[in-house]
Amino acid sequence: MLMILEEFESLTESRQLDLLYTQGVYIGKCAKEGCTTLLFQLDSFYVELFYLKYRCYIKRMDLFTSPEAIDEYLQPVDIENLAG
Amino acid sequence: MTLSLPPKHLVIYADDDPDDLELVRDSFDKYAQNVELISFEDGRKALQYLLGLAQQRKTPCLIILDINLPGLDGKEMLKTIRTIPHFKDTPVVLFTTSSQPSDKAFARNLDAGFMTKPLSYEQMDLITEQFIEHCAEDIRKKIRRQLG
Repeated sequence: MLMILEEFESLTESRQLDLLYTQGVYIGKCAKEGCTTLLFQLDSFYVELFYLKYRCYIKRMDLFTSPEAIDEYLQPVDIENLAG
Repeated sequence: MTLSLPPKHLVIYADDDPDDLELVRDSFDKYAQNVELISFEDGRKALQYLLGLAQQRKTPCLIILDINLPGLDGKEMLKTIRTIPHFKDTPVVLFTTSSQPSDKAFARNLDAGFMTKPLSYEQMDLITEQFIEHCAEDIRKKIRRQLG
C-alpha cells in the first residue's frame, strides 16, 4: 500500500528516516541555505533533508508533492549525441 | 632493535562525492592503526590500481564501490572485478544512496554486499562495523583485536 504525505508526516523522525533509508528513491544532492540537502521520492511525494552536518545531523525535513521543486536537483543531460 | 609493525589491511573505496569520501575516511579513523583506506574519485583509476595490486599478488580486504562513478560506474567495475581471478573471492560492497531492489539483486548475483549510505548519525555510527562485517572472518578478528 502506498504511503501518503500526511501519513509520513505523522511518524516520528526516526521512523521517517528508517522509511527513507529502506524505501526512498534518491533523486539528488544540492546546496541550499548553507546546508547540504538530499532529495528522495517516497511513493507519491518528495522528502528534502537539510543537513547541519552531512548525513549526521538534520536541520529540517521538507515534504512536498509538486514535481517542479525537483528541477534544481536534476542535472542537465547533453542529448545531442543520443539522437538516432 | 627494530620493531616491525604488521602490514595494514587494505580497503579500496571508489566514490566521486567528496563529502561521502570524507565521511567514510572519518568512519575508518578508529581503525587507522591497522586499516589503510585508499580512495578514488574515478572508477577507471580505481580499477587500474586494483590491476596493479593483482600483479603484485596483493589483495585488499574489502572493496567499496559507489554506483554512480565517472569513468566506470560501480556496477561495471564490480562485473570487471569478478572476471579477474585474483579478486574472485575478494569482498566487495556496493555503497549507494538509493536502496533499489534491482541494485541489491545485481550485487547479490555477483557475490557482493549492498549497503545504503546513511541518512542520520544513528545510521552513520553503524557503517564502519557493517563494512568490516563484509571482510573475511580472520581479517575481521584481526582488525577488531588490534583495535583493543
